[in-house]
Amino acid sequence: MTKRIVIAVLASVCALTAQDSSKPKTGNIGLYRNQLLAPDGPAPKLADGTPDLSGVWLGGGASDADISNPKSLKPGSEVVMLPWAAELVKHRQSKEDPEASCLPGGIPRGSPYPWRIVQTPTHYFILFEGNIHSYRQIFMNGKHPDDPDPTWYGHSIGHWDGNTLVVDTVGFNDKFWFDYKGHPHTEKLHTIERYTRTDLGHMSIEVTIDDPGAYAQPFTTIGHATLMPGTELLEYICQENNQDLPKLSGPARGPGGQ
Amino acid sequence: MRPLAFAAVACSVWLASGTPALAHHSGAAEFDSTKKVALTGVVTKVEWTNPHAHFYIDVKDPSGTVVNWNFELASPNVLIRNGWHRNSIKPGDTVSVTGSRAKDSSNYASAGEITFPDGHRLNFLAAEDPAK
Repeated sequence: MTKRIVIAVLASVCALTAQDSSKPKTGNIGLYRNQLLAPDGPAPKLADGTPDLSGVWLGGGASDADISNPKSLKPGSEVVMLPWAAELVKHRQSKEDPEASCLPGGIPRGSPYPWRIVQTPTHYFILFEGNIHSYRQIFMNGKHPDDPDPTWYGHSIGHWDGNTLVVDTVGFNDKFWFDYKGHPHTEKLHTIERYTRTDLGHMSIEVTIDDPGAYAQPFTTIGHATLMPGTELLEYICQENNQDLPKLSGPARGPGGQ
Repeated sequence: MRPLAFAAVACSVWLASGTPALAHHSGAAEFDSTKKVALTGVVTKVEWTNPHAHFYIDVKDPSGTVVNWNFELASPNVLIRNGWHRNSIKPGDTVSVTGSRAKDSSNYASAGEITFPDGHRLNFLAAEDPAK
């Protein structure tokens, strides 16, 4: 408890330090120190009035340690696995996590690396710096194919609900894990993401996960992304020198062993 | 010490001591945080690569035998944003390194703090002074 209080006090002091530092404002964003922060301001719009989500963002995914952590769930939401899924999670090993082999973390697994949204009239793209160095494409006002080929990121279509971008995705394969603990899913997975830029520097992201093949009921994760106006995406080719995989051992669990 | 300066120091201490929440794998599945190492040696190789940068040092054990150790760092994209440069550590440098050894007890560890003879320091995640 004492440690928590100390951390809370330090976090507050750090936030104040960031606010009091030189202009323009800088502060820590995730793992990154002394980063340029977005100035205060309203969420921007494109010339035609469409909300402008473009930019480099950090965060916003669900807990990559454990998707069932209440901190990454919408209040009232609960992760209830079907018996086979619960049994599978009990036996999964860390080295089996596709992400440990530099394969995608899928949706909505969080990552410590920035990502960028690019908006065009017909396609929106999400460019991931890491985990893995890849991209998603969202077909605006499109239609899902009748029989999509199962893929890591599925088939995504988007539309605007007021100021919220709604992305509907089906056609997933069953390979990625929702988190380090190994929460699974099936090809029946259907996700609905809601992206709302709440001001210039912040975006809320809610993801409803509906997979009747693995979960007794849908659940919704919540995340908050922060704009990183002072950085560009950097290269992260995870396959280059992955010395870790053969050294991983033990049950699937979070970064700190939880 | 002025309050703001104290706050800055406190923040850097706090951030340096935390467990890095780094993907792409569980750190606890690879390293044993109870198996601490503290070694001094000469850098033989640096791999500025993903998903992790690595550097290797030759360390003399008590019998005089030279053993090569492999230390893991965060990925270059994280390090660069936190004040590291690809030449921050170079072959030939003498460094003292703390870290957590791999669970398999090989000469492989996750780097904690790296101290140079002139006293400047780097760590797994960041340069001591990111402004430099």
